[in-house]
Amino acid sequence: MSATLWFVIRRTLQVIPVVLAIAALNFLLLHLAPGDAADIIAAQSGGASAEFTAELRRSFGLDLPLYQQFFVYIGRLLTFDLGFSNVQHRPVFDLIAERVPATLLLMVVSIGFALLIGVALGIISAMRHRSWVDSVVSVIALLVYATPQFWLGLMLIVLFSIMFGTLPSGGMMTIATDMSVWERAVDIGRHLILPSITLALFYVAVYARLMRASMLEIYTFDFVTTARAKGLSETRVGLVHAASNALLPVITLAGVQVGHLLGGSILIETVFGWPGLGRLVFDALLQRDLNLLLGILFISSIVVVLANLAVDLLYGFLDPRIVHQ
Amino acid sequence: MLKSVNSIAFAATILTLTAGTALAQSCPKTGGTLTYVYHPEPTALSTIATSAVPVAIISTKIYESLLSYEGADMKPKPSLAESWTISDDKLTYTFKLRHDVKWHDGKPFTAEDVKFSVEKIIRPYHSRGKVYFGDVASIDTPEPYTGVFKLKDPVPFFMNVFQPGEAPIMPKHAFDGVDLSTAGAVRKADIMQKPIGTGPFRFKEWRKGSDIILERNPDYWHKGHPCLDQVVLRVLPDGAARAIAVETGEVDLAPMSGLPEAEILRLSKLPQLETSKAGAEALGPNMWLEVNMREKPLSDVKVRQAISLVLDREKIVDVIWYGQGTPARGPIVSANPTYFNKALKPYEYNPKKANALLDEAGYKRDADGVRFKMTQNFLPYGENWVRLAEYVRQELGKVGIVVETQSLDLGGWLKAIYTDWNFNITSTFSHNYSDPSIGVERTFTSSNIKKGATFTNSMGYKNARVDELFAKAAREMDPKARKAQFDEIQQILHNDLPVIFLVELSYTHVWNKRVHGLITNGISMYSSWDSVWKD
Repeated sequence: MSATLWFVIRRTLQVIPVVLAIAALNFLLLHLAPGDAADIIAAQSGGASAEFTAELRRSFGLDLPLYQQFFVYIGRLLTFDLGFSNVQHRPVFDLIAERVPATLLLMVVSIGFALLIGVALGIISAMRHRSWVDSVVSVIALLVYATPQFWLGLMLIVLFSIMFGTLPSGGMMTIATDMSVWERAVDIGRHLILPSITLALFYVAVYARLMRASMLEIYTFDFVTTARAKGLSETRVGLVHAASNALLPVITLAGVQVGHLLGGSILIETVFGWPGLGRLVFDALLQRDLNLLLGILFISSIVVVLANLAVDLLYGFLDPRIVHQ
Repeated sequence: MLKSVNSIAFAATILTLTAGTALAQSCPKTGGTLTYVYHPEPTALSTIATSAVPVAIISTKIYESLLSYEGADMKPKPSLAESWTISDDKLTYTFKLRHDVKWHDGKPFTAEDVKFSVEKIIRPYHSRGKVYFGDVASIDTPEPYTGVFKLKDPVPFFMNVFQPGEAPIMPKHAFDGVDLSTAGAVRKADIMQKPIGTGPFRFKEWRKGSDIILERNPDYWHKGHPCLDQVVLRVLPDGAARAIAVETGEVDLAPMSGLPEAEILRLSKLPQLETSKAGAEALGPNMWLEVNMREKPLSDVKVRQAISLVLDREKIVDVIWYGQGTPARGPIVSANPTYFNKALKPYEYNPKKANALLDEAGYKRDADGVRFKMTQNFLPYGENWVRLAEYVRQELGKVGIVVETQSLDLGGWLKAIYTDWNFNITSTFSHNYSDPSIGVERTFTSSNIKKGATFTNSMGYKNARVDELFAKAAREMDPKARKAQFDEIQQILHNDLPVIFLVELSYTHVWNKRVHGLITNGISMYSSWDSVWKD
């Protein structure tokens, strides 16, 4: 037990330097890009005098030497202050917080849906290895995996919004109507269908392929032969013995993809006008909104690091040998 | 009997005429929501924070200025000012303000707000504030509804500047407790996100990344207006998705070329939609190749003329911009009804002549057929600009000029062109705005060769005559003389080619035919929309 506890403490402490290193690296990388928010604001106003731009730069603190800006940034991080977005004129934390629900909704629904379907398809293909079912699933998975998401999204819009007129083409909810809570939930659900399916199809393909490969590998292990030798039905061998063991790599991948939960999907959010974090990152990058970018990168790196920590700890729990190594 | 029939007919005619007049003044129909799409999303709701297009479109429904404008030639009309007088020496402008105007928070609007807005907010913090109000010596408020602007020198375009996006009048009381001495503090003020204006629509809600809702201002001074109940902006980042939303009728309007040009072409053929290039004459976007003239060979006018000769402007308009534009002839766009010099000839497309000019300039082809090499940048505003860069590279290659294209994002591009001057040629565009002294002068006078100032004279172009003419025109109160000055400037720049003038871009608006009354003046999308109505 003490070994397990020690493992947990050690892995948790390792997180701190990783997060700090990421924060420092983010800062330096972003400052490598030429140009700043003052230039962009001046340019988008259709041109401004040099004094105007210089005054903006001064009031944003962008005229300070890099090391001073760095210490200001790290000092703020230590008090969990993410700063102020000079482009959007609002605190970074508020900007991120109002986008999180949309991104979480889209990603949890898509990845959840994809895990269910993907794992099921993977199991079916593995259990019917080299049958026509396996071929059909594999071909479809490869096709979906190779199809650009934005194109798939646009085609779904053409189909369901223009031709059938059944689903809205974009946005997260109908604007400017008074709705009860229940009506609003249904409304958001309708808006969620196309983007979540588009996004989920990609993950379905990934999980289906991974689950299939993992199952096939497990089938070669001795304990599967033993199970068969005991006279267990092929269904029981597949579902209980092989599938539960084959889940490990799928869990690993899903854990890594938790990072996407916060990163969002820029393409899907762009095509469907979904007000999530992915687009916030993209806009912030183009507008050189440094504080906002640093804030988003910092939070998403923490989430990824924590998700990996959780997966590591889960491993130790699922497979005690990892703790002792 | 006959007489009485006649008099009935006469009375009916009179009645119809009166009804017609009444109709013109009141809304044919009230109610409804106008939804428009635009991307990017505004970053603020005041043009003081940034006068970028998305901010200007939405904030001009909320804020007003002293004047409104009619027609492409921007004839001044009353708005917050109901009348005005201009002194004979053109140095004193007296505006009589409306008495019945309230801010959206219910407080009364007075001349103090005008004085405060111009002196403390617009002049120091609007990106063009100093151009507009730099010559204002004082603003007096002898009584609560009179504002007297005294100028140091005459400003010929002074009546053009009171546009809602360029000189928005803001409530003095909303800045209580705000440090007005720094741009940062003013930009962080609450009012930048939660605006309080006098306009026909007031701010209701902003769901970031999704939509902004404005609702009818019930206390609006123009009685019976606005016609619409709501104006809604929907943020849809993908161009194709925006076009679909217009096509299905989910949104009513995509203003200011807010759709990809190929989609505009497609949608213009649909029966339920209307497209128009009119209504942006006082913006006048003009696209050109900026040439860094500091070094050879681009310092040689023959080389610049040769570059101009190998670029087929008709083709650029038709193929690259899907027909959304007009070949440019000089610095002032041909849609400008007052100052465009009609004597300018269209630029010729003649590669043979270009080759001869390059030979004459001493840049002979080497054994590989190469005359010289240079780099080009392009404005990173999307696909069209990339295609233009490819076209320029291909055409210049044909006459032996080898062009290497460098790709930068907006931040990097601005720094390279306007701070470092580290480029050979680059595509870009610039707005004429409502007067050449505002929008054209800054690119071509030598006093605007300033590092760090975006969209200025990056070329390093110096021409004493051009400087002199611009300086004169900025003070010239005689319209005829001023027209002559701008005519000469256009002729010089047309020949000198400090930039290779290519295309007058169009701002094309696409809207559903159920919406009426959108196009009213040269800044139609930056106007209040108080008389826009919907079936």
